[in-house]
Order: sequence, then C-alpha cells, then structure tokens
Amino acid sequence: MINLWQAHLSFAMLLFLLLPAFGLPRLARIAVLGALLAVSFLPVGGLSLAAHMRSYIDDLALTTLVFMAWGCLRRLNILTPAPKDKTWVMVIFAILALVLYPATLGLSELDPYRFGYSPRPMLIVFGLLTLGLFYLRNWLGVVMLAVATLAFLLNIKPSQNYWDYLVDPLLGLYCCFALLLHALRRIGTRLMTARNNTSRSA
Amino acid sequence: MRITRPRLPAICAYLALSCLFATAWFTNPATPHSSFALMSPVLAVAGQVAQPIYTSRFASSGLVDFVHSSAVTALPDGSLMTVWFAGSREGAADVQVRAARFDAGTGEWGAEQVLATRASTQQGTQRFIRKLGNPVVALAPDNRLWLFYVSVSMGGWAGSAVNVMVSDDFGRNWSTPRQLITSPFLNISTLVRSAPVFHADGSIGLPVYHEFLGKFAEYLYLSADGDVIDKFRISHGNNSLQPTVVPLDGQRGIALLRYAGNTHHRVLATRTEDAGQTWSEPYPLDPSNPNSSLAAVATPEHGLLVALNDLQDGRFKLSLYGTDAQMDDWYSVGDLDKSPDPLGGPFSPEAFKEIMGNEFRGSSGSLRQPLEAQFLSNLDTRVCTARGCEFEYEYPYFIRSPDGMYHLVYSWNNTFIKHVTFNDAWLAERLR
Repeated sequence: MINLWQAHLSFAMLLFLLLPAFGLPRLARIAVLGALLAVSFLPVGGLSLAAHMRSYIDDLALTTLVFMAWGCLRRLNILTPAPKDKTWVMVIFAILALVLYPATLGLSELDPYRFGYSPRPMLIVFGLLTLGLFYLRNWLGVVMLAVATLAFLLNIKPSQNYWDYLVDPLLGLYCCFALLLHALRRIGTRLMTARNNTSRSA
Repeated sequence: MRITRPRLPAICAYLALSCLFATAWFTNPATPHSSFALMSPVLAVAGQVAQPIYTSRFASSGLVDFVHSSAVTALPDGSLMTVWFAGSREGAADVQVRAARFDAGTGEWGAEQVLATRASTQQGTQRFIRKLGNPVVALAPDNRLWLFYVSVSMGGWAGSAVNVMVSDDFGRNWSTPRQLITSPFLNISTLVRSAPVFHADGSIGLPVYHEFLGKFAEYLYLSADGDVIDKFRISHGNNSLQPTVVPLDGQRGIALLRYAGNTHHRVLATRTEDAGQTWSEPYPLDPSNPNSSLAAVATPEHGLLVALNDLQDGRFKLSLYGTDAQMDDWYSVGDLDKSPDPLGGPFSPEAFKEIMGNEFRGSSGSLRQPLEAQFLSNLDTRVCTARGCEFEYEYPYFIRSPDGMYHLVYSWNNTFIKHVTFNDAWLAERLR
C-alpha cells in the first residue's frame, strides 16, 4: 500500500512542478496541489491515474520524492531558493545515474546494482558524503540522502536494494539534462561576453 | 583564517546522521549464500530390474489458441503441474498463463485452468499490463509452489518484468501476483524461462535473462519468501539468453545458454564452483543452437541430459542428447519430434494435415484422442502461412521428479503442450 501512496504523491508533485504557476497566490497553488492529489485517485480502466503513471516511471526513489517536495515548497514560496545546493545535488545524482544504469543494463561486465543488496560499503560512502554535505551546509543533499537511508532502514519499499532508494531514472535524467543545459548556458554566456569584448576592443 | 567550533545543534545533527548510517550498516550485513540443495531421487530396489518406460501425451487441451513456453514441476503426491501461456498469438493482450495437473493414478492430464491474466496481474501489481509471457513453476523444499511469469507494461519483451505468485496448497489457491524488483532502470528487462534452482537454506535461484541493451543471463537469488536478495551475472554482452542451470553438487553447477549471436550458432556453457555466485566465461559446445531455448537435467551418472533443437536454423526437430559433466562427449539419445522433411521445408495444407493426424495419434495420449477431428479441422488457419505449413518443436523444459522419472514438456507446433516421460531403464536401453 505504501507504494501506492508514493505513486499518488509522485503524481501530484510531478504534475504540480510541470504545470506553470499561472501567477496564482500561495493558497490557490496549495489548492492546485491538493486537487492534483485528488485527481491521482481517479480510476481509468480499473487503475488509478497514479497507478498508470507508476506503470511507466516505476516507484520513484525516496531522494526524488524529497527533491520534488523541495521543489513544491519553493514553488509555494515556503523555502527560499538555494541554487548552489541544487547544483551540487544534481552533480551527485547525475554521476550516480551515469555509473549505475549503463552498467546494470549490460554495457559493462561489472554490475554496480548488485552492491545495493549487501550495501555496507555503499553506506560508508554515502554516510561520509552526507556528513560532507552537512559540513558544506547543503541541506537539500543531506535531507535527500538521510531520508533515503532512513526509508531503506525501515524497508518501506518492496525492494531490498539500497540503490532503489537512492536514485531512479527520472531523477538521473533530470539531473543530467539540467546540468547539460546549465553548462550550455554558461558556455553561451561566456561566448557572448567574449564577442562583446572583442567588438568593443575593435 | 579563523577556525570556528561547531555549535551544539550541529554536533547533534552530526551524531544523528552518523547513528542513522551506522544503524543501517549494522542491520544490513552481507547476504549469506547457501549451497545448492540436491534432490536424491528414489533409487531402484536392489535386484529389481526396472522396465523401460517412455510415454507421451498432451498436457494442454485447447484447440484454438497459440500455446507456448511450458514448464513443469513434480508434486509430493506423484502428480505433476505444468504451466504455459496461451492466447490468440504470442504477445497478444488475451494471453493467459494456464495450468494443468497430471493425475498419477490415471496417467492423464486434467482440464486447463487459468492462473493469471492481464487483468489479474494488473489488479495484483497495481500496474498497467500490456501482455503476459513465459511462466515457470517450481515446488520448493518447504512445499510451497512458486509461479514466476513475465509481464510487459510498455514496449516489447525488452520491457519485461517478472511477477510471482505462491501457493501453500499445491496450486489450489494462489496469492495475488506481485512484481519482483530486479532492475534499477524502471524495473524492466528481466525475463524468466528456465527452471528455478533451490538452495540448502530454502532460498531460490532464479535463472533470468535481459533483452534491453544487452542480451545476457543472470542468476537472481531470492529468499525463501521470494524477495530478491542478490543477483549474479552468468554472462555478458549481447549473445546469450535463457540460462538453464543444473547443479552438479552443493557448489558446482553448469548453465547452458541459448545462443543469440550471429557467429557460431552453438549452445553456450558456463560453470560455477560457488553455488551460482561467479560463472566462468561462456564457451560454445558441440551441439548447434538456432537461437532457441534448451533444457537440461543431471543424470545419476553425474552427466547431463539435454533437450534442444540441434539445428543451425529452424526448430523443426527437437532432440535429446546425453553428455558427461565435462561436456566433452555428446551422444544422441534420439529425436523427440521432427519434421518428415530433413531440412524442415514447408508442406502443403493437405499433406501437413495427413502427417499431423498421424503425429497427433502418436503423441496425444488416450484422453485427448477424441479431439483429433476437431484439431485437424482448423489446423491450416492456426499453423500454416503463405509459405506453407511447417513443423515446430521447441522450448523444452526438463525436470527429474523425486521418483526418478524424467519429465519433459515442450511446444508441439504451438498447438499443444506435449509431455514426454521416461526413466533410466529407457535411457539405458537407448544407449545399448
């Protein structure tokens, strides 16, 4: 049952983040989020809309739920923007996705997904990473990794694999594309600045 | 630079985080791995000469659907249960997982029973299901009957996931299906085909394969309650599927693999010396393999019996071979079924119907004999294409039951699931 609650929360938060804000006041946006949660229960062909979405994107990792919750709170102006937090988090999860998925799907002889079944070495690495992020005051990263580990400890997903709590393809792809876009923007800005400087000196 | 001391709340937070990860570390030790459980079939009583036994009959009884990918298991009362998938065609939305039970008393298969449908799987897993695929069934040492079967929510077979159902009363009642979590990427690209292997502590070794970016085999390690607790690569790359795993003793085992490449078209083999945790590099064996499923069981002489299509192309002949544990020497035990045409060429509908009539009478068993006329009446629309009518004997699944009998089920022209039984005395006679 917890899976379905995850699916309903994922459905509501994902659509809320994808939809434009329409300049609505905070209370109205909270109402939109609640309405989306209600919509996620609508049955279509014997399954709720949330279950349909879950069929294609699978149960999301706990980190993604925290990331989306953080996005929703920002959208509602409850949290202030913290761009540096987000960039480092995206770097971490993009690396995780790039390490995990191609290798697990057969492009490498090593299967890193296996490490998630006996995760003591992984727990040491992610424990140190979480403490490091805490030292750097990257609260978003700390909460994502701590909640994922707590959920793993409480066994709230049907998977016994630590990876399934840490990352999912949606988060991985989002981080990769967002970083790529970020890098392209920066390159574009630098090129523009360089061009402006050249034309000025000419 | 001024060094500032962390404040009390920060120290508490550091401690809380450390405790969280430490607790997770302590509560998640490495997964213990048990040796293979070895079954000891009842041996013949000393001085008593066993008579050769070889019988065949159809396990399925439907006369309309495409039937394929069967599996069989022995039950404690001497009966058997076979499962397969059936529908208007492979991959159709109406495909169901069906079962039949073999009555040891009458020596016949009973009526078909539906175990899983697209709707029941959708309801149980709470996921949209497009189609169902290969099922496998196995009785665990604790007498729980396990059914694993493939389903697809999106795309083709590369988008497969494995579902599981369990029965505590030998198949009378089943749990609702649930999906195994086997892959981090949307939980897709895992399929089952061959017999599960049990370990000494009750854990289950499930041979699976991937068809998404690569075609390779894995050995899923499930707890006795059916949760995935580890997995091991059997092969790599893009050319091996459908591992059939045969334990030789507690630690040693062999996996034979369907070859899905374009080079040598031979059966692949790999070995484990640690009960399935590590596997040697797969290597080609003598028999050919036209990218088709094969099945193997261990013999009392520590060799293997292998059922396969020993062909470079096509599946018009299903043969039985024996080999030693080193798999160096192969000998033919006989052909289980084959096309009258040595090259497997197509026949006209009229000629095909006549041959099939004879084949039907030789294969069906007495209970299914009355179905012959009805079976032949719509045969051309079920089996024949514009090219003509071709024979297909494929997807064998092999077990040895506790009474020492060998049971083989396979797709008989995708119209019936055929069950062949024989004993060691028959094997000895064939090899004389």
